Amino acid sequence: MASIQKSVALSSSSRPSAADTVELTGVCKSYGDFVAVDALSFSIEPGGIYGLLGPNGAGKTSTLRMMIGIIVPDSGRISIFGEPLTRAHMDTFGYLPEERGLYRKMKVLEHLVLLGQLKGLTGAEATRRAQSWCERFELTAWTGKKVEELSKGMQQKVQFIGAILHDPRLIIMDEPFAGLDPANAVALKDVLLELAKNEKTILLSTHRMDQVERLCQSICLINHGRAVLEGDLSQIKARYGRRNVQIKYDGDARFLNEPRLVQSFNDYGNYVEVHLAPGADAQEFLHLASSCAKLSKFELMEPSLEEIFIDVVGKPNA
Amino acid sequence: MRNTWLILKREYLQRVRTRSFIVLTVLLPAIMTVLMALPAKLATMGQKAQHVVIVASTEQLGESVRKQLLAAPSDDEEDENTGADNTKQKPEDQYIVDVDANATEAERSVLRDKVSSRAIDGYLWLTNDAIAARKVSWYSREMMPFRERSWLSEAVSRVVQQQELSSKGMTAAQADQMLQPIKVQPVRIEGGHEAKGNGMGRFLEIVVMVMLLYMAVLFYGISVMRSVLEEKTSRIIEVLLSSASSTELMAGKLLGVGAVGLTQILVWAVMAGLIALPSLAAQPNLSELQISPWVMAAFALFFLLGYLLYSTMYATIGAITTTEQEGQQLQFLIVIPLVLSVFMLMPVIRTPDSAAVVWMSMIPFFAPILMYARIVVQTPPLWQIALSLSLLIATVWGLLIFCSRIYRIGVLIYGKRPNLPEILKWLKYAKA
Repeated sequence: MASIQKSVALSSSSRPSAADTVELTGVCKSYGDFVAVDALSFSIEPGGIYGLLGPNGAGKTSTLRMMIGIIVPDSGRISIFGEPLTRAHMDTFGYLPEERGLYRKMKVLEHLVLLGQLKGLTGAEATRRAQSWCERFELTAWTGKKVEELSKGMQQKVQFIGAILHDPRLIIMDEPFAGLDPANAVALKDVLLELAKNEKTILLSTHRMDQVERLCQSICLINHGRAVLEGDLSQIKARYGRRNVQIKYDGDARFLNEPRLVQSFNDYGNYVEVHLAPGADAQEFLHLASSCAKLSKFELMEPSLEEIFIDVVGKPNA
Repeated sequence: MRNTWLILKREYLQRVRTRSFIVLTVLLPAIMTVLMALPAKLATMGQKAQHVVIVASTEQLGESVRKQLLAAPSDDEEDENTGADNTKQKPEDQYIVDVDANATEAERSVLRDKVSSRAIDGYLWLTNDAIAARKVSWYSREMMPFRERSWLSEAVSRVVQQQELSSKGMTAAQADQMLQPIKVQPVRIEGGHEAKGNGMGRFLEIVVMVMLLYMAVLFYGISVMRSVLEEKTSRIIEVLLSSASSTELMAGKLLGVGAVGLTQILVWAVMAGLIALPSLAAQPNLSELQISPWVMAAFALFFLLGYLLYSTMYATIGAITTTEQEGQQLQFLIVIPLVLSVFMLMPVIRTPDSAAVVWMSMIPFFAPILMYARIVVQTPPLWQIALSLSLLIATVWGLLIFCSRIYRIGVLIYGKRPNLPEILKWLKYAKA
């Protein structure tokens, strides 16, 4: 394993410059009357994993397609490594599309070699890299099989290898974990973290909040083509405030019926999760609760990204 | 350039390696041969030899006509219009000829009954009276086909003329020589040289080309369309477009599929050559069918350009539709110019230098078939060929750019088929 890592995946020959890996400034894209992306701006710092989040139809895929240059924005600017995006940048990034994009009738190894060659590798080099990656992802027995003979999860792994075979500085992944079983999801996550550690920049577009929460340092949440939340994940969470309380209690649960402080709760008898009302003072709630019941635990929780997501996206005109 | 080559290689190898390609390449000529040979075989298979009676005033006259009828036709009497299969049949297999010297009314009614009862198929009333009147009658149940009638009259005239000449003191050899028919042989002047070859050969050259182009366009064009649709539905196109430009992708695909078609045609040509070579060696006058290198070059050029023109259109249809059914509905856009060129083939062959034909053959969508046909029939002025070719090349080039723009946007759009204004808008989007 160690030898593969050294020789193939993580040779950081191309160190990112100080400039942001990707920077979008006021990017707009509409299809007829439908505005897919509306004055979107965000920037991705080099190295690490960046999450692009948003509900279905928020404009994620359009944004990604503009970033890899397969569609052109109506207005706005996209720069990569500090330069305006051009065809010359194509070989510096790897792209994993949302659904599997492979030729079904092609053999796995041939397919990977083709993808590598299209990104500028020589046939021999592409073959060598493809073989070691297949080994790492336990696909060696399948390299001579046609893509259509593979399971969905295996195809997803092939697709992933195809995206990183040429050792790109920027890796753009649209729902990379879709269709993977837990074991393979862990293997993929490990590779992503390794790549990030080796100063590659990874852009992850997904619905899966738990993955983003654990992997990403920064996020951009978009809705209706606009950035709703953007920046460092821990800062966002801090800014959003702690409004969830876990309480273990014994006695009267009357304190839950205070609409000024409690927006909603989930009572399990002597354990309750409380979502505080906007603007509610947690200290005031603690006083109220302790005056009613005997508390064995009172803890303010950090909001999960999922809660933030639902909260922001659920709001009208967000 | 490198990307185009990679795509080309993939398209080519993926197709050539499939079992269906190998089967089709080997089996199609076999099927074609059977299909072409079968009607002729069927026509002769059920045919019994015709039983014919010659009623003549003298046994000797009847016998001479019999001999003449059964004599194998000599080479120079071979009719150009009869296909190779018919001439191979010998008259003695086709006819049983009896001679009857009993030219009486009674015999005539007996023969008439025999014809009705199908004991014989017909009889020739060749009495001295009939010869003197220069009108000999043939009695049968069915109308006599034109070819057989001329064959009969020729045989009878020849025998009668021979007899009359020898009765006037000529030897049989002298009479024979005198009666030898004189044939007019057409010789075409091509590029200042006399070109051998007959009208039939030229016609075949045109028909073969048109058939090949038509088949190649339909077969490989649909194949191009299908593979564009496949890339679109499997979304591989997104991965490809993140590595190569749409023009590179489209050019690679068209050239790759075209190379598959050329391979197939080459294999067929070699197969046909191997089969035809022994018979060509045996029958030297068939070598008149030889195609001049000039015509061959024209074929290759117009075939390739024609293929590129039409398959580019197919690729575009693939790009703007989402299912094969939808694509097939739009196919008429491609089939109409093709069918029109086939319709215009006859006027082109008859009057290759009329003004209408000249200008028709300049229109790029007709040029692959019509200009090629003109080159085969009669070498048109060089400027016309040059103009037609440059218009064709310019159109292919323009269409390639136009279509690769539509392709670039179209392949990323799923769902409803766009209308014309939308497609025009795409052209603007795809400027970069």
